[in-house]
Amino acid sequence: MKKNIAVLMGGRSLEREFSIKSGQRVSNALRKLGHNVIKLDINESIVDNLNSEKIDLAYIALHGKDGEDGTIQEILEVLNIPYTGPGVYPNVLSFDKIISKQIFMSLDIPTPPFYFLNTSSFRELGSSKLLPLITKKIGLPLVVKPSAQGSALGIRIVNDKESIPEAIISALSYSKKVILEKFIDGVELAVSIIGKEKPRILPAVEIVTKKKFFDFESRSKIGETDYFVPARISASSNKKMKEVAMAVHNALKCTKLSRVDIIMDTKKEIPYVLELNTSPGMTDTSLLPMSAEAAGLSFEELVDEIIKMSLKD
Amino acid sequence: MSKKITFDYWEHLYSNRTEYMFSSEIRDLLSLSARPEIISFSGGLPEVRALNFQRLERYIKRILKTDGDISLQYGESVGYYPLKTRLIEVMKLEGLDTVEEDIITTTGGQQALDLLAKIFIDPGDIIITESPAYTGALNSFRSYEAKIIGIPIDQNGIDTSILEKKLKELRDKKARIKFIYLVPNFSNPSGVTLSLQRRKKVLELARKHNIMILEDNPYGMLRYKDKPITTIKELDSKGDGHNVIYISTMSKLFAPGFRIGWIVAPHPILEKIILGVQSSILCVSTFSQRIAYEYFSDPSWINNIDEFIKIYAKRKDTMTKTLEENFPEGTSWSAPKGGFFIWLKLPHYLNTKEILADAVRNNVAYVPGSAFYADGKGTNEARLAFCTENTERIEKGIKILAGIIKDKIKLYKSFK
Repeated sequence: MKKNIAVLMGGRSLEREFSIKSGQRVSNALRKLGHNVIKLDINESIVDNLNSEKIDLAYIALHGKDGEDGTIQEILEVLNIPYTGPGVYPNVLSFDKIISKQIFMSLDIPTPPFYFLNTSSFRELGSSKLLPLITKKIGLPLVVKPSAQGSALGIRIVNDKESIPEAIISALSYSKKVILEKFIDGVELAVSIIGKEKPRILPAVEIVTKKKFFDFESRSKIGETDYFVPARISASSNKKMKEVAMAVHNALKCTKLSRVDIIMDTKKEIPYVLELNTSPGMTDTSLLPMSAEAAGLSFEELVDEIIKMSLKD
Repeated sequence: MSKKITFDYWEHLYSNRTEYMFSSEIRDLLSLSARPEIISFSGGLPEVRALNFQRLERYIKRILKTDGDISLQYGESVGYYPLKTRLIEVMKLEGLDTVEEDIITTTGGQQALDLLAKIFIDPGDIIITESPAYTGALNSFRSYEAKIIGIPIDQNGIDTSILEKKLKELRDKKARIKFIYLVPNFSNPSGVTLSLQRRKKVLELARKHNIMILEDNPYGMLRYKDKPITTIKELDSKGDGHNVIYISTMSKLFAPGFRIGWIVAPHPILEKIILGVQSSILCVSTFSQRIAYEYFSDPSWINNIDEFIKIYAKRKDTMTKTLEENFPEGTSWSAPKGGFFIWLKLPHYLNTKEILADAVRNNVAYVPGSAFYADGKGTNEARLAFCTENTERIEKGIKILAGIIKDKIKLYKSFK
C-alpha cells in the first residue's frame, strides 16, 4: 500500500555527504516500490517540516550526529511518527563508543582493551602524564580515535609514542573524549542484523583494504578496498562472530536493524567488537546492502523489509 | 562460497588516468560549508553581487535583438574575435602587449589548464610547480599522469635557487620536464607575489633548460596597492618570446558564471590547442563571449574593478587585523597586496585537516593546506579566502578559529 515516507538525510554531521548519498539511493528505491517520498534535510525547520506533511514513516538515512545519537529518534517519538532503525536508547548508547565498550566488557563481550581520556582531564588534571603508562599497558601500535564519530574520521594508528599527542589532538577535533585502544591485527568484518521479532544475521562482509585500516578514503573510493561476502573465515570463527554480533545487538537493546563491526583474531578465534552502528550506510559501496544481496535481497527488497517492519510500530 | 563484491562492472575498462582522480574527506567536510550559518573562508568566490545586473540585462536584450541568431550559434574554435580585441586592452593594463592572433578563448581558466596539460603531458612527464600550488592545476596535471615536483616559496614567490638546483638535478637524470607552472600575482593559495628579479630568473632558467613556463594570472588586476609587476610573458616577448604561455580568466574580472578564460601562446602551440578544443568542446559558448564583449566594450567595466578592489581590500584588511589581534604566538600568515587569499601557518603539531572538523562544528570553514601540495605536505597550513564573506562575518569567523587554535596549542602544551 502506498505510504508517505519522509527520507531524513543530510544534516549537520560531518558525514553529511554520505548521508545524502544513502538518502538518495533509498528515495529511489522507495519510489520504485510505489511510495510517495518526501526528502527532508535536517536543519532548524525539521520539526515544522515533519509537522506540515502527513507522514506515515520517517526513513532515517542520517549518519553521525543527530541521526545516530538519539536526537532525531527523540524528536520523532515526540511527534509520534514511526521511524526506521533502533530507538532512542540504543542510539544514545552506541553513539558513545566508551559507553558501549563498557557495556560489552560488563557482559564479557570481547572488545579491544582501551582507556579513554577527555579534553578537560588533559588541561586540568594532568592526564598527559598517564600516556607512558597507558602505552605500556596497551602496547604499540595503538589506535587513537574520537569517542563519538563515524566513517573512521579522526582515527589514527600510532606506531611510536612520540606521535601520540598529535593523534590525540586530532581525535579531540571530532569529539570531547578520546579512546586509546589496542590495535588488533585480524580480519575486519561487518555483521548486519535485520528483523524485529526474530532478528537474523545476514552474511558477514570481510573488508580487505590496501590502507592500514578501513579509513574514510577506503570507504568512499571504489577500488580502494576489496569486499568478500560471506567472509572467508572458518566455520568455528563464523559461529563465534555470529554469537558475539547478536549479543551486542541485544546488549544495546537494538531493534529492527544494526551493523556490528568486528575484528576477528583468527589465530585465537576471538571476535573483538569495535562498535555498533544504528544507521548503516545505504550507498553503492555500503556494507549492509552487500550483506543483503548475499542473502538474496535486492536493494529494493532490503528497503521494503526495513519499512514494513518499521511501519508496524 | 565467498564472493568478491563488484561495484562497478566497467572497472576493467577505465583508463589508468582515472586512478589519479579522487575525492577526499576535505571535499566532504567542505560540503557542509554551503550551509548559510557557516562562515566560509574556503571557496574563492568573487563578489558578483557588486556587478550592475540592470546593465547586464540591457546587454543581453541588445544581443538577442541585434544578433541573437549568431550569438546562439556555434562559434569559431579560436574564440570570438571582437572579444579578443577587448582582451588585448585588458592585458595592456598590466603592461602586456599582444595581438588577437596570439589569443584563444577557453571555457574558464581551468579548461586552459586542461588543454595545455592535454597537449604537453605524457604519463611520467615532470611538471614543476610552486609549492603550495593551485589545486585545480595539480589535479589537471595529475589527471594526465604527470609527476609533479613542488618547489618551496617564500615571501617573494618560488625559491629560484632551489628551482635552479632541482632543474639541474633533473636534467642530469635526463628527466622529461615539460613546464613550470606559476601564479605570479597574489598566488592561489599563498597570496604571495613573485618578485621581478625572480620572474627574470625563472625565465632565464626556462630558456636554459628549454622548457615552458605556464604563467597563470587570474588575480593580477585585483591589486590593492603598488604598481603591477611586469608579466613573465612580457619579459619573454622582449627576448625570443617562445618560452611563456599566459593564461587568464574573466572569473575574477567579470563573473565566473560565464566561464571564459583565455590563453596567449606562440603560434605553433596555439595550433595544437585549437586541435584540443575541436576534439573536446568545439568552441567556447558564443553567447557568453558575446556578453563579455559587451561588458568590456562599456568603459564602465573598469569602475567595477575599482569597486571589486575596494570590497576585497577592506575584507583583506579586516582579516589581517583580526588575525593580528587574536591569533596566538607560533602562528603566521602571508600579507597579500591583492587577490583573494591569505596563507596561514600553524605550529607543526597541528593538523588543519583534523581541526577543520572542529571549525565546521563551530560554523567556520577553510581549506586545509595539504590540498595544495602534491606530496602531502602542508598538514599544518591552511588557505583562508577573504573575498567571500563580509567584514563582520570575517571578524567573527577569525575569532572563532583563533579560539579553536589557542585551545589546541594549550592542549599540546599539556603534553610537555
